[in-house]
Amino acid sequence: MAAETETETIEREATGEQKGEQERNRGPLERWVGDSISDPGRAYKPMFWLVTIFFLFTTLFPFYWLLMVALTPEGQLQDVWLTPNGFNPGVFIEVFEILPFHRYMFNSFVIATVATVIVLLVASLAGYVFGRLSFPGKGPLMLLVLLVSFFPPAAFFIPLNDLFNTQISILEPVLSDGSIYNTPYALIIPLSAIFMPLAIFILTTFYSQIPDGLEDAARVEGTTRLGALFRVIIPLSAPGVATAGVLTFIGVYNEFFFSFLMTDGQPQSWAPILDGILGYQGQYQTLYNAMAAASIIGVLPMAILVVVAQEKIVSGLTAGGLKE
Amino acid sequence: MANVTLEGITKRYEDVTAVDDMNMEIGDGEFVTFVGPSGCGKSTTMETIAGLTKPTEGTVHIGERDVTRLPPKDRNIAMVFQNIALFPHMDVYDNISFGLRLRKYDKDEVDRRVEEAADIVQLEGMMERMPEEMSGGQRQRVAIARALVREPDVFLMDEPLANLDAKLRVHMRTELQRLHRRLDTTIVYVTHDQAEAMTMSDRIAVINAGQLMQIAPPLECYNEPANLFVAGFIGSPSMNFVEADVRSGELETENFTIEFDPATTDGLAPGDRVTIGVRPEDVYLERTADGVEHPSGLIDARTDVLEPMGNEVFVYLVTGDDADTSMDVEGGAATDDQLLMSVDPDTEIDIDEDVSVVLDRSRVHLFDPDTGTALRHGLISAASATGTPERGVGDTD
Repeated sequence: MAAETETETIEREATGEQKGEQERNRGPLERWVGDSISDPGRAYKPMFWLVTIFFLFTTLFPFYWLLMVALTPEGQLQDVWLTPNGFNPGVFIEVFEILPFHRYMFNSFVIATVATVIVLLVASLAGYVFGRLSFPGKGPLMLLVLLVSFFPPAAFFIPLNDLFNTQISILEPVLSDGSIYNTPYALIIPLSAIFMPLAIFILTTFYSQIPDGLEDAARVEGTTRLGALFRVIIPLSAPGVATAGVLTFIGVYNEFFFSFLMTDGQPQSWAPILDGILGYQGQYQTLYNAMAAASIIGVLPMAILVVVAQEKIVSGLTAGGLKE
Repeated sequence: MANVTLEGITKRYEDVTAVDDMNMEIGDGEFVTFVGPSGCGKSTTMETIAGLTKPTEGTVHIGERDVTRLPPKDRNIAMVFQNIALFPHMDVYDNISFGLRLRKYDKDEVDRRVEEAADIVQLEGMMERMPEEMSGGQRQRVAIARALVREPDVFLMDEPLANLDAKLRVHMRTELQRLHRRLDTTIVYVTHDQAEAMTMSDRIAVINAGQLMQIAPPLECYNEPANLFVAGFIGSPSMNFVEADVRSGELETENFTIEFDPATTDGLAPGDRVTIGVRPEDVYLERTADGVEHPSGLIDARTDVLEPMGNEVFVYLVTGDDADTSMDVEGGAATDDQLLMSVDPDTEIDIDEDVSVVLDRSRVHLFDPDTGTALRHGLISAASATGTPERGVGDTD
């Protein structure tokens, strides 16, 4: 036995030497390719890191740059190279002193929240109808929703702006001058409409997946169809509702075009954050550090929201995608 | 508590008729089971009672009220679903009390009723559990408690035991019977499992292709099936069917003849075609047929397959020479050349053995091969016959 194992090890050593000799004859790249073919993990791993680092760099570097610009004291931006030229964290307080930036943030939050609530309510009803009922004309109707969502929002701007600037006498008791311009409605109405189709599609997918038996059970137990929607279907579609809600909220919060043009940019006219950030740009002077600081402050709530809701959003998006 | 009356219920979808002119009277406190193959319309019929489906034609009455156009919530019914349908986001207490809370009962009353219902189905101490933490049987009991707690006029149960494992199913079957005795409420039960139908019901409604085939107590469906469908559907394994010609005083099939009492020939003339139906337990080996009062003549056969079940043995017999031994999905004998017999487990019998068998003539059924209607139950004179057919397909209400 012992002799046998001995000869075996000798043989193995001999073949190992041969192999080593072969390897020495190849260049490093050739060797790496050869190894990668026999063990693909060796190729995947560096590629994974390469791509990951690339994505992290392209997404995070702008934030770093923003932070650096914010921290660099006013007027010293010309010599900036990867590190801030000076250190001025006080800018995060100054932005609130120069302009009522908190009022702009409040405006944005109110507009985004109300738009989200409207979108979720209406899209829930539409999602219930498209997802759970069958009726003639359902396909064409859904296509119409899809079609409308493909329109460039800017196409609606001029007629809407004209409409919102019209004084409508029946609105006078509610709005000071009877026109919607410079009210939150000027943003809430078009932005809700723009983000509605996406929410309808997400919720349709989710509501259609709730078993009929649960809705039937709720109706037998004593709810109406609407009651079953709100008591059973919506709670069970929580990831979908959260996804639609967060996407709408972020979309409205980040929207530029309507936000910029539907108010006169004054905080008391319900101008959103965007106008606040641009407000640091005066006729003779542009406070880049304040703009950067305000941008960071404006992004923070969204970053927090996404981190908190991330799990639900991911499960919501994939669950929708993997239907059947 | 209330009776349920269906009048001319018809449900048509675009190109299919799911339920076709269903008429039925379900008495107060009665346990009626709808049974039939998949897709026969039994669930649709139940859904029209529940109000989950609106009938195309016809009316539904619960008690004195016409509920045809009422939504489910206003019908005072409770339903147990096949997939159990507990609300996954609510705990047991919230599930059971869902209907009561919707109706704004005060807290004490809700608590009292939930406790009582939980007690009936033995769910004490599980009020805080979520449905996903419970076993199938426990979930089913929660679903039943949710139905009980509202004290409805009618219980509707749509295959409530279908998703349980076999052992639990038998257990829940007895529990449901006990429950029915205790509550004495009208129960409408849907199943495709004829064992459930036979064991639990006061009456069985056999439904096929949207039509009511027969509604009668279980044993009547078994012993006096109204037509070929009921005869073939009730009983497992299925009844043997053989085509035969009527001759004077006997029925002649391809491979054997059965003599029958000329006194019972009314309505049958020599030359008519009939379908003979005989259950496996009414076929006897000649050597053990001493107890049979009205045996037929001997039939020569060869044993083909034996299926020992423990309490009995099913013997597939082949009659005739070049026999066709294909079978249908129900496991019954499918061709005129086959005969299924059930014998005692201690009977000595082998495969490929030539045997002589007899039929119990008092339990041979005759059917019209074209319409399927039962013509006669038993081939002996009226004095000792088990019954005469009085129902056809059309006059089942």
